[in-house]
Amino acid sequence: MAPFTKPMPIFNDLKALATGLFVTWKHIFRRPVTVEYPDAKRTPYPRYRARIVLTRDPDGGERCVACYLCSAACPVDCISMEAAEGEGGRRYARWFRINFSRCIFCGLCAEACPTLAIQMTPDYEICERDVMELVYEKEDLLIDGCGKDPEYNFYRHAGIGVVNPRGGNPDEEPPVDVRGLMP
Amino acid sequence: MPKLIIDHIPVEVPAGTSVLEAAKSVGIWIPHFCYHPALGSVGACRLCAVKMVDGPVKGIQMSCMLPAQDGMVVSTTDPEALKMRSLVIEWLMTNHPHDCPVCDEGGECLLQDYTVAGGHGIRRYEGKKRTHENQDLGPYIEHEMNRCIQCYRCVRFYQDFAGGSDFGVMGSARRVYYGRFQEGKLESPFSGNLVDICPTGVFTDKTARFRARYWDYEMAPSVCPHCSLGCNTVPAARYRELLKTIARENPAVNGPFICDRGRFSNAAVNDPARPRMPLVDGKEASWDEALDALMLRITELEEVYGPGSLAVVGSPRLPLEGNILLARLAELLGAGYLCYFADREEGERVAAAVSLLAEGRAASMADVRKADCVVILEADLRDEGPMMLLAVRQAWRSGAPVFLVGKHAPLEQARAVSVEAIELNIIEEVPLAIFERAVVICGTRNSTPAAIALLARAEAKIAPLLPGPNAFGAGLLAREHGAVTLAEAAASGKVKGILAVEADIPEELLARVPFVVALDWLPTETVRRAQVVLPTAAWVEADGTYVSFEGRAQRFRKVMAPGLPIRGLPARYHASPDKSAPFHPPRVHRSVPPGGDLRPAWRVVAELVERFGGERVEELFEGRWEQLRDLDPEGGGVRLLG
Repeated sequence: MAPFTKPMPIFNDLKALATGLFVTWKHIFRRPVTVEYPDAKRTPYPRYRARIVLTRDPDGGERCVACYLCSAACPVDCISMEAAEGEGGRRYARWFRINFSRCIFCGLCAEACPTLAIQMTPDYEICERDVMELVYEKEDLLIDGCGKDPEYNFYRHAGIGVVNPRGGNPDEEPPVDVRGLMP
Repeated sequence: MPKLIIDHIPVEVPAGTSVLEAAKSVGIWIPHFCYHPALGSVGACRLCAVKMVDGPVKGIQMSCMLPAQDGMVVSTTDPEALKMRSLVIEWLMTNHPHDCPVCDEGGECLLQDYTVAGGHGIRRYEGKKRTHENQDLGPYIEHEMNRCIQCYRCVRFYQDFAGGSDFGVMGSARRVYYGRFQEGKLESPFSGNLVDICPTGVFTDKTARFRARYWDYEMAPSVCPHCSLGCNTVPAARYRELLKTIARENPAVNGPFICDRGRFSNAAVNDPARPRMPLVDGKEASWDEALDALMLRITELEEVYGPGSLAVVGSPRLPLEGNILLARLAELLGAGYLCYFADREEGERVAAAVSLLAEGRAASMADVRKADCVVILEADLRDEGPMMLLAVRQAWRSGAPVFLVGKHAPLEQARAVSVEAIELNIIEEVPLAIFERAVVICGTRNSTPAAIALLARAEAKIAPLLPGPNAFGAGLLAREHGAVTLAEAAASGKVKGILAVEADIPEELLARVPFVVALDWLPTETVRRAQVVLPTAAWVEADGTYVSFEGRAQRFRKVMAPGLPIRGLPARYHASPDKSAPFHPPRVHRSVPPGGDLRPAWRVVAELVERFGGERVEELFEGRWEQLRDLDPEGGGVRLLG
C-alpha cells in the first residue's frame, strides 16, 4: 500500500460539507412537491399513458377491427382477442381482453393500432383488491366516444366496401365492368 | 452447363435454368410474385429485375425470364435494379385498398413484405383507385379482387396445373379480373391451393376467416390423415381450435400443393362431441378408474369365456406407434386374436398390395408426375386419393397417355382435371411394354385381391391406393405377426370381447360381441356402443408416424394441446355456470384445459402393457423399425421397402 504523500485537503472537505448541508436546509424550508393523495389529486397531461380504452368512430361503430397488431406489439402479452365477421363484412372483436395486472402502460399497443381504436387515457387510478378485477373485457374497455382524432374512420379509407359501397370512397373509381369492351 | 457470376458468387447451373433460379440455388433471394417453382415464369409482375453488368445481355433484365448463359455477370443489388424494383412495388400499390388490418393475409403477405422491404411508405400517385366487385366462390374461398396485383399465379395454377375450367382471367389492361365465368362455387377439388399460391389477399381461407394471425398460430410439420397418400401439411391452431391446414412441400410426395379434402377437413378435431373423458358404462371416470375397470373386465372375460376370447384390433388410421405396441399387448394378454383390419376383403387387398410393393416396385407421386404412361385401375381418384389425380394430370401434360381400366374407374375423375383418358375393360389391353416409366395406380376399395396380385406380371411401377393414412404400416404389421382380419376372427365364434384402438368395427359385430372397449378420438359408432371408452389424442395433438401408400414412413409433430375450443365453450366451464356462456375465455384458472385430459393411443396401450405385467415401454421402434427412431419430420420420410 502506498503511503499518503500529500496532506489531506481539509479545506476542500469542509467546503463540500457546508454545500451539502446548505442544500438540505434549503429543501427543509421549501413547499413540498408531494400531494396528499387521495385527498388531493394531480391532473395529468392529456397524453399521459394510463388506462387503455377502445374508442368508436364518428359514425358510432366500433373502431377496433381485431387485427391482432396490439397483441403482437405488447411486450408483456397482456392483450388477447378474437376477431369475427359482423354485418356487411365488418371485422370486429368478438371478445377483447386486457390484463391490467400485467400491463406496463408502455403505449406500444396504441402506437401499433392502425384504426386508432386503442388509446391511452390519463386515468391512472387502477387498483383492485382482487387481481381478476384487473382483467378487463371488451365491455369494460369500449367507450362511447372517439377519443383523440375524432374524424377518423378506418373503413372510409380502406377500399373494401364496408361503410361506403364498393368503389364509393373519395379516392376510388366505381367498380369496373369486366365484360365491357370499352378501353 | 452455363457458368455465371451472381453478386460475385460463381454459379454453375443446368442449361435452361433462369437467372432467378440460379440465384436461389446459391441462397440469393430475388423478390418475385409471378414466378412459382411449380408454375414457371411469365414475367408478369416485373419485380425480379436485376442488372446484367457484363455478358451476352446487358442492363436491367427480368431474372425469371432470362435463361442463365455463360459469361453473365449479374448484380441483384445494383442501385439501378433496386430503384426499378421499388418503383414496381409502388405502381403495384397504386390500386391497393390499404386494408391490411382487416385482411387475413396480413402477416403472411408477400406484397406486404416486399412493400416494406422496398421502402415504399408514402403514396405519391394522386389518381383514383380501380375497384372490382367480388364473387362468392363457395364455402371455402373468400374473394377480394381489389387486392389483386395481376401476377396470374391463380389462373396458371387453376387452369394449367389443376385443369379447372370454371375459373380464369377476364378483362384487359387495368381491368384484368380473376374469377369464375359464371356464378357458383369453385369446382376444382384443388381450389384451396389458391389461398397458398396467391401472393396477396385476393384468395383467403373462408373457413378460418379473421380467426388468427400467422404469428399467433401453433404450427408444426404434419402429415395429412385423410387418405393413404401421406401429403405433407402444416396444420395451424389457435385457442385450442384447429383452424387451417397449409400445404408443406415434399418433392417426392405432394409437391407444393394439397387437395381440398386435406385442407378443409379440420372440423372433426374441434368437434365438441369428441370423446373427452374416460367412460365406464357411460359414466365419466378418471383415467385410473377406467383403466382399473378395463383390467378387471378383461380378466373376467377370460374367466367366463376362457382364454383367447379377446380380439385386439388396430386400424389403418392408427399411427404406427400404436399399431406396433398392440402386438406386444396382444401377446401379453394372451388375446386370441390380433387384427389390423376389420373387413376381410379389405385386409386381403392391403396384404396383396403390400406384398406386391415388397419387390421394390412402388411408385411415388413424383414417379407418377414423371411417368410416360398412367393406368388407373379400378379406382376413383377423386375419392381414394385426390392428390394422385393432380399428379396424373402433370404426367398427362407432359404427354403421357392416361388409361382408365375397369368399371370402377369413372371418366368423371379425368374430366375433373381436364385429362383426356382412354377407357379400357381389362389391364391386358394397355400396351405397357412400349413405355419406359409406366405407372399403374390401383384402387383397393373395389378391385379384388386376385386382380391386385395379377399386377405382379405387369411391367410397370405400382401405386396402390390404400384405405387409410397408415394402412401400409398396418399391412406390414399384419404380415409380420400373422394377424387375421376381425371378420375372420369373429367367424370362428370365439371372439367375445373387442379392444378396438381407433378402429371402426362393423355394426353387426358390435351387436354380437358382449364386451367392447374403444380407444378413439372420433365419436364413432364403436365408441357409442363400447362399455369402456378411453379418449385418445387426434393426430395434431401428439407426435406419430404414418406409412403412406408407397411404404414411406413420415413423422408428424404435435401441433396443439388438446382441449375444448375456447369458441363455444359450454357455460359450465365459465366462472358463472348458471348464466349463458360469454364469448370471452373463462375467468377461472385450471391446470388442465377443459376436455384436455387426452392421451395418445400408443401411451394408453403402453400403460396397459405395463399394467398387465409387461416391461416398461422404453423404445417403440425395435428390430426392423429401428430406422424410424430419429425420423426427421421435415426430412421427406423414409421408404420402408425398396
